[in-house]
Amino acid sequence: MKRLAVVAVLLLVSLMVVSSAVAAIYAGPRQWYAGQTASTAFSPSWIRNAFSTSGSGFDKTVTFIDNVSYSWHNTVRNTSSWTETYAPYSPFRVITDKGHCKANVGYFWGSCSIY
Amino acid sequence: MKLITRRWAVLGATAILAASITAGGVIAAQLTTFENPDRLAKAIEKDPLVLAADIPAAGGAARHSVLVQETSTGHICLWDVPSATPGLKQGGCNSADDPLAGRPLSVSFSYDGGPAMATVRDARLIGLTTANVATVEVVMNDGTRRPMRLEQARVGGAEYFAFGYRFKAGDLRRGIGPVAVVAFDDSGVEIDRQTTGFTG
Repeated sequence: MKRLAVVAVLLLVSLMVVSSAVAAIYAGPRQWYAGQTASTAFSPSWIRNAFSTSGSGFDKTVTFIDNVSYSWHNTVRNTSSWTETYAPYSPFRVITDKGHCKANVGYFWGSCSIY
Repeated sequence: MKLITRRWAVLGATAILAASITAGGVIAAQLTTFENPDRLAKAIEKDPLVLAADIPAAGGAARHSVLVQETSTGHICLWDVPSATPGLKQGGCNSADDPLAGRPLSVSFSYDGGPAMATVRDARLIGLTTANVATVEVVMNDGTRRPMRLEQARVGGAEYFAFGYRFKAGDLRRGIGPVAVVAFDDSGVEIDRQTTGFTG
C-alpha cells in the first residue's frame, strides 16, 4: 500500500516537472483579446522571449521591460506565428528586465514563453 | 474500517494519477496544435542562417543583417540580427508551407525604447515579399514615403525579395515614424498594405 502511494506521488511529481520543462510558458496557451498583456518576473537570467500563435496573421509584440526606467528594450512587432526577441545584455548592466508580450489584435490562441 | 481507509487511499491516488495524466495530455495537445515552443526554440538556436539583406551602420548604431532560416521543424524564419552577433535574433517564423501567411508581404518591426514613439530609438524594419512585388514603400505619419531596396532571396526553393531598413534617428526624434508598409506590383498597383501600429 505504502509502495503504491509512493509510486503515485513520484509519478505525479515527475509529470509536473516534465510539464514545466517543456517550455517556460508564462502566459497561455489561451485565447487572447486585443490589448491583453502578460509579463514574467524581473530577472537577470532571461535570454529570449517569444510569442507563438495558432496560425499566423495576428499582430503581436514581444519585448523586455527594465526595472528602473520601465523602458522597453529590443521590441519586436509582427504577425508571424512565432515572434521572438532577445534580452538586453551588457557585462556592466546592473538592472534587470521582465519579459513582456502583448496582443495587438484579438482573438487568437497563443502563448508567451521565456528562456 | 482500516481496510476501507486503504481502499479510499488507493482510489484517491489512482484518481490523482489519472487526472494528472489527463491534464498532461490536454496541455500537450494544446501545445502541439500550434507552434511547439520548445522544439522550435531549439531549432532556431542551431539551424543554419542565410544572409538575405543588409542594414548599414548609421548614427552610432551597429550594422545589422537580415537573415533567413529554414528550420528542421518546417518553418521559415526571418531575422534582424546585429551583424557581429548573429545569435541575437529579432523577428519571427511561419510555416514553410505558407511563409508569408498567404499575403504578398510579411514584415517585422524592431526597436529599442518606447512604447511611445517619442522615446523610440534605433527602429528597423525587415521584410520578405513574393516575387511579383516590384516595389515596397514605408508610409510615414507625416505623409512622406521611404522606398525599400529589394534583394533577391531564394527560400525553400522559391524566389522572394528581402529587405531591411533603419529609420533615421532625426525622424524618430521629431516624432516621424512608420504607419504602414505598402507593396506594389510592376504596374504600380498596390497589392498589400500592413500597418505598423504607430500613430505618431
